[in-house]
Amino acid sequence: MADSIPPRDWLLRVWDDEAVAFDVASGDTHYLRPLTRALFQTCQADPGLDAATIAARTATALGVALSADFLNAVDDGLDSLRRIGLLQAP
Amino acid sequence: MKLLQLPPAELRRQLAGPGVWLRTGPFSVRVRSHVPHVAEGLTQLYGQFEVRSPHEAFADFHVSVDRPRGLRRWLRPQVNFAVDGVPPFKPLPLDQAFPMLEWGLNWCVSTRAHQYLIIHAGVVEKNGRAAILPAPPGSGKSTLTAALMLSGWRLLSDELTLIDRRTGLVQPLPRPVSLKNQSIDIIRAFSPDAFVNRESRDTVKGTVAHLRPLRDSVRRQHEPARPGWVIFPRWQAGAAARLTPRSKAQTFMFLAENAFNYSHLGADGFRVGSALIDQTACYDFEYGILDEAVAQFERLAAEGSA
Repeated sequence: MADSIPPRDWLLRVWDDEAVAFDVASGDTHYLRPLTRALFQTCQADPGLDAATIAARTATALGVALSADFLNAVDDGLDSLRRIGLLQAP
Repeated sequence: MKLLQLPPAELRRQLAGPGVWLRTGPFSVRVRSHVPHVAEGLTQLYGQFEVRSPHEAFADFHVSVDRPRGLRRWLRPQVNFAVDGVPPFKPLPLDQAFPMLEWGLNWCVSTRAHQYLIIHAGVVEKNGRAAILPAPPGSGKSTLTAALMLSGWRLLSDELTLIDRRTGLVQPLPRPVSLKNQSIDIIRAFSPDAFVNRESRDTVKGTVAHLRPLRDSVRRQHEPARPGWVIFPRWQAGAAARLTPRSKAQTFMFLAENAFNYSHLGADGFRVGSALIDQTACYDFEYGILDEAVAQFERLAAEGSA
């Protein structure tokens, strides 16, 4: 399943490996922990990737193994990005 | 003219009549009251603040602290705080008249001064850089703010950190420092020459008293400061003073949650808050002894100005 970056306005600020994101439409602010922020960066760089590719590219970027634990964490991270609206499922 | 130059009888006359006009930071306030504790508190704690004729000067806030009318006045003496004649809170016992004025003024600023991002935090300055001290109640924030002021730091505020939305600078709002419970005796012991006014007991915050701001802090109340640090103090019995770097993103989230008007400001609140974090070093700070805490802050200020 490919995700896309939402059309709505967002403001994003990155410090070190974490970020905060502001949803202009709702006024909500969200904290992105390092993995979530890395996943979003992967999606931003190449919108439309499927989850397996996002996981593989993010693992490479972070220099970690593509383990079962990592894949579970990726699922959680992508879910949280969809939940807050930073990613939109097709 | 300073408030201390007003003869006591004239202060009481103004309070009971047109009100006392005084300036605190960027705000002017007109205070009216017939309650002796209010006159006493203003005399003891606001002596260095500018006053003007209430007939001639514009005031941002028109407030009063007075006893409600009716039978209750004689059964259980209470006071009301009112802004433009409207009381935003329930009455409090008469003994709490002066703390109620202080809390009411904080309320006026935090609900109306949206030209600033207003963060619930103490803030002090040295060598041109401000240390912002946000923390949950009971963390020792006001105690540390007071000790730093009494050790040569300039008090910008003990409660409301005002970030100017245009410049990103911290706007001073030096007012009496609110001390609670054990903090009162701790500060009295830390600096026996410091003036702390009479205690009000059994308030919602426990026993409360106020520390008079030092003259230099009041004199420089129009001089903004560049944000330098965001430091979360936490008093822990027996702990050695220790600064630990802290996540900037998590610090931003805490400040946003503890700002009075972050949501109200929308995207501009995010912009101002993130610009603040960009230019500050963020730390957790644990301490057990005030002298050690002050020494740690001195080292930080010295490093920052080196």
